[in-house]
Amino acid sequence: MDYRSDVRDGRLVVSISGMLTFDDHEAFRRVVSEIADCQEAAVELSLATTKMIDSAGIGMLLLAKDKAAKSGKFLCLSGVKGHVAKVVELSKIDQLIPVE
Amino acid sequence: MADPIAEAGTEDTAAILVVDDLQSSRLLIGSILQAAGFNNLTFAADGVEALEILERRVVDMVILDIVMPRKDGIQVCREARERLALAMPILIQTGLQDADHRATAFDAGASDIVSKPIHAHELVSRTRLHLERRRMIDSLQGYRRRMQDELKAAEAMQVSLLKSEREVAAIVGPRKARLTTFYKASNQLGGDLWQVFEIDATRFGIFMVDLSGHGVAAAINAFRVHMLAEDQVDYRSTPGAWLTSLNVGLCQILPVEHFATAFYGVVDIAGGCIQYAAAGAPPPLVLEKTGGWQALDHCGVILGCSEAACYETHSVPIAPGDRVFFYSDALYENFDEPEKSLEPADLVAHVRAVLETEAGPGFHEALVQRVFDSEAATRRDDLTLLLLEVAGDG
Repeated sequence: MDYRSDVRDGRLVVSISGMLTFDDHEAFRRVVSEIADCQEAAVELSLATTKMIDSAGIGMLLLAKDKAAKSGKFLCLSGVKGHVAKVVELSKIDQLIPVE
Repeated sequence: MADPIAEAGTEDTAAILVVDDLQSSRLLIGSILQAAGFNNLTFAADGVEALEILERRVVDMVILDIVMPRKDGIQVCREARERLALAMPILIQTGLQDADHRATAFDAGASDIVSKPIHAHELVSRTRLHLERRRMIDSLQGYRRRMQDELKAAEAMQVSLLKSEREVAAIVGPRKARLTTFYKASNQLGGDLWQVFEIDATRFGIFMVDLSGHGVAAAINAFRVHMLAEDQVDYRSTPGAWLTSLNVGLCQILPVEHFATAFYGVVDIAGGCIQYAAAGAPPPLVLEKTGGWQALDHCGVILGCSEAACYETHSVPIAPGDRVFFYSDALYENFDEPEKSLEPADLVAHVRAVLETEAGPGFHEALVQRVFDSEAATRRDDLTLLLLEVAGDG
């Protein structure tokens, strides 16, 4: 995976591109600490350019959500489509993390 | 074991073989090494003698002359590497300076070259350097071997959780069904698990779970789920309530980024149905005897994330001669080319094609061969397959 983050309308938007799998654990840690350290009260994880996600990738989203909640922030997912949408639908992630 | 950072003058018990046809050279090299603290030295006067020693005993390092009668140093080096498959450092000493000559030595498997006439300090430094390097490689290889042994032991323990063919038949057979199973662990341990429970005289439960991620953490979590599922005897006949209760248990033990997908079904052949609940597991496929098929509704909040999650009980009719195929995501997910991941319809076609020729115990192996291009592809993630067959009319 690769990621980039920008602040848009007072919200931290982190875009994840490529594959989000078991091998991205280390890389995703940086995303999580960026979420924990940011000044914004809301975080959007954009999966619009995420090609594929595995179970470990879902785990990372849950971790990001947990870190955001613990630092008093709102976190949502956006741009869910293709393979990612299937996984989200199957595992009902939308009941755990809001999807925009 | 010798101290890896032995200083000059301290004892180093590394076994060093010095090969040179000139006695004066052997004496010179021997005395330099001894003065530096190496005192486990063996000497050979030509290539043939050197190889005899190498075949017979463990040598940590060889210091080898090139020009010798009977068999030269290059040939010794080559045979030590190729025929005897020895990996210890071989230091070649040569008075010849041209680059081609040195290249030939390296091509034959030399680790390094020292120039003649022998310079004491250079010889000792290079000897220490190569021995230290070798020790580091040995220690890494040892560590790796131990890790692999541990992973194998853990994999065996994981497999031992699964019921044997006979145990499964004892539960399923009297209840008018046949269940064949297949499990192959990924090359780095994983978190797949299946269980079969007796419920009453006519019904049994099938539970399939996949812990997120892989590796040691997923395997340990699989053990925890196994314990929870075995102990959770209440609600076994009502899949929704059973999964809801299991989820609460898992929420308490799984770390925030870990979760499980699962399917639990109660097979009631006398009653003509399977009652089930699902939590994001791949949809089991019902292959009807009459030719139709359906994928069971499998959506549900993944287990271990939210204590508030509730799972509903669904029901699907089954008739004599029907088959139900359960599988883990490793069967259809294609991470290299996501668009080539298999859809339920593709899986049905594969399963039906295999059943044409392999309806017996060979079914799973045959299916795996049909779906995967290579042995390596089957080891990326845990693979679990279960085929339930409802006994025919006769």
